Amino acid sequence: MNKKLGLLATCFGVLFVVAPVPAHHSFEVEYDPRKPVEGTGIVSKVEWTNPHMRVYVDVTDPQGVVTTWNLELGSPNSVLRRGWTRSDLKAGDKISFKGFGGRVVLTRSVADAITLADGRPFTGASGTPTR
Amino acid sequence: MRKALIVGVALVGLTASLSLLAQETGTGQNNTFGVGSGASVADDRFGKLGTEFTPIARPEIAALPTPRLHDGKPDLSGPWVGGGSNNDLEANGGLKPGELPLLPWAKALRDSRKEEDEPYLYCTPMGIPRVNPYPWRFVQSYSAKGNTHIFVLHENGDGGGHRQIFMDGRKHPPDPLPTWWGHSIGRWDGDTLVIDTVGINDKFWMDSRGTPHTEQLHTIERWTRINYGTMTNELTLDDPGVFSRPVNLKFTAKALPPDEDLLEFICVENNQFGIAAGLPNVYKDKGFGLEQAPPK
Repeated sequence: MNKKLGLLATCFGVLFVVAPVPAHHSFEVEYDPRKPVEGTGIVSKVEWTNPHMRVYVDVTDPQGVVTTWNLELGSPNSVLRRGWTRSDLKAGDKISFKGFGGRVVLTRSVADAITLADGRPFTGASGTPTR
Repeated sequence: MRKALIVGVALVGLTASLSLLAQETGTGQNNTFGVGSGASVADDRFGKLGTEFTPIARPEIAALPTPRLHDGKPDLSGPWVGGGSNNDLEANGGLKPGELPLLPWAKALRDSRKEEDEPYLYCTPMGIPRVNPYPWRFVQSYSAKGNTHIFVLHENGDGGGHRQIFMDGRKHPPDPLPTWWGHSIGRWDGDTLVIDTVGINDKFWMDSRGTPHTEQLHTIERWTRINYGTMTNELTLDDPGVFSRPVNLKFTAKALPPDEDLLEFICVENNQFGIAAGLPNVYKDKGFGLEQAPPK
C-alpha cells in the first residue's frame, strides 16, 4: 500500500515548482515539495472551515483499494473571494486533484489544483476563471 | 520518460515565496487581481487553492485620492491587506540582513526557534506589528464626544479579540498588565495617524522567523494614507530587552477593491496544523480531520 502511494507520489514530477505557501502556516513545515501527488475520486466530505478549507476524496486504485485523501486548501474566505460557493463542490462529486503530500502522512495533501466533474478548474486566481 | 518528467523541484525562492505582498495578476473576471501568500505554482497547475488570495484595488482605483471623512480627517477604513511584518520583520520592514540590532541573546533565541513552534499556528493573536495575507480595517469610531476610539478589526489574526486605540487624549496607565495588543493611544499629526503602544505581552513572535520581544516593547506607528490604494506604516520599535537601539521600519498596506468587506474567520474551529507532519490530531473528537465521515 505504502509502495503504491509512493509510486503515485513520485510518478508525477512537476517542472520548476515553487512550493505553495498556505498563509496560516508555512508549507514546508507540514508538506513536502518533493512529493507531488494527484488522483481522481469521489468527494466524501467538504469542510468550509478555518483556518483551512478541507476536501476529503475517496480514490480507488485498480485493485479496488480505497484511499481517502484529506486535501488542504486556503481559507474558505480566500475561495469565496474567487467567486465560488458551496454548491460548486460537494460530497458525491467526482473530482481530480493535484497537490503535495504531507511529510509524514502522505494522504494529507495540500491541493493546488482541483478539477470538477464538469471540467471546470476549481479556482479563480489564475488561468482562465470560469465564474 | 519519468526522468524527463522529474526534471526537478526548484526550492529557490522559498523566502521570496513567503513574501506577503508578492502580486498575482489575472485576467478577465473580478477578484483575480490581488495579493496572497506570495506562492506561485507551475503553469500546469490550474490554481492556487492551497494558498491565500486577497484581492486588491486595481491601479486605476488605487491611484484615486485619499477619501476624507465629514471632519476632514483621512478615511483609513480600507479594508487593507499588509502593512506589517509576516515572515521576517527585518526583511519585511526594509532592512538588510543583519541590520536589526538584536542583542546577542535575542538573536540566539530567534535563530533557535523553529517555524512550526510559533504560537500563531495555534490561532493565538499575531500581535503588533504583525499582519498576514488576510484583510483588516481601521474603524474610526465617533461618539457625541467626537472620534474617541479607533478599532482595528482583523479578518483573522486577532484570535477573537479586537485592538482598540484611545483617541480621547488619555495617557498610558502607569503599570498596565501586559496584553496581546497592549495599551494604545492615538493622535493625528496632520494627515498621519500616530499610535503609541505599551503594555504588550511577550506571548507572540513578531514574525514566523521567531524574532522575539519583551514586555518592555514600545511601538510607535505612523499611518499615512497616500492615495486610495496605499497606506504606509512607518514604525518605531523600542525594546531595550531585545534591541541595542530603537529600530525604524517601513511597511505598506494595500486597499482592497471598493466592494470588498471583511468576512468571518474563526481560526480555532478546524485547525489541523501539524497532523500532516505527524503530530497528533487534537480535533479528532470534533469529527474534523477524520479520514472518513463521522457516523450519523
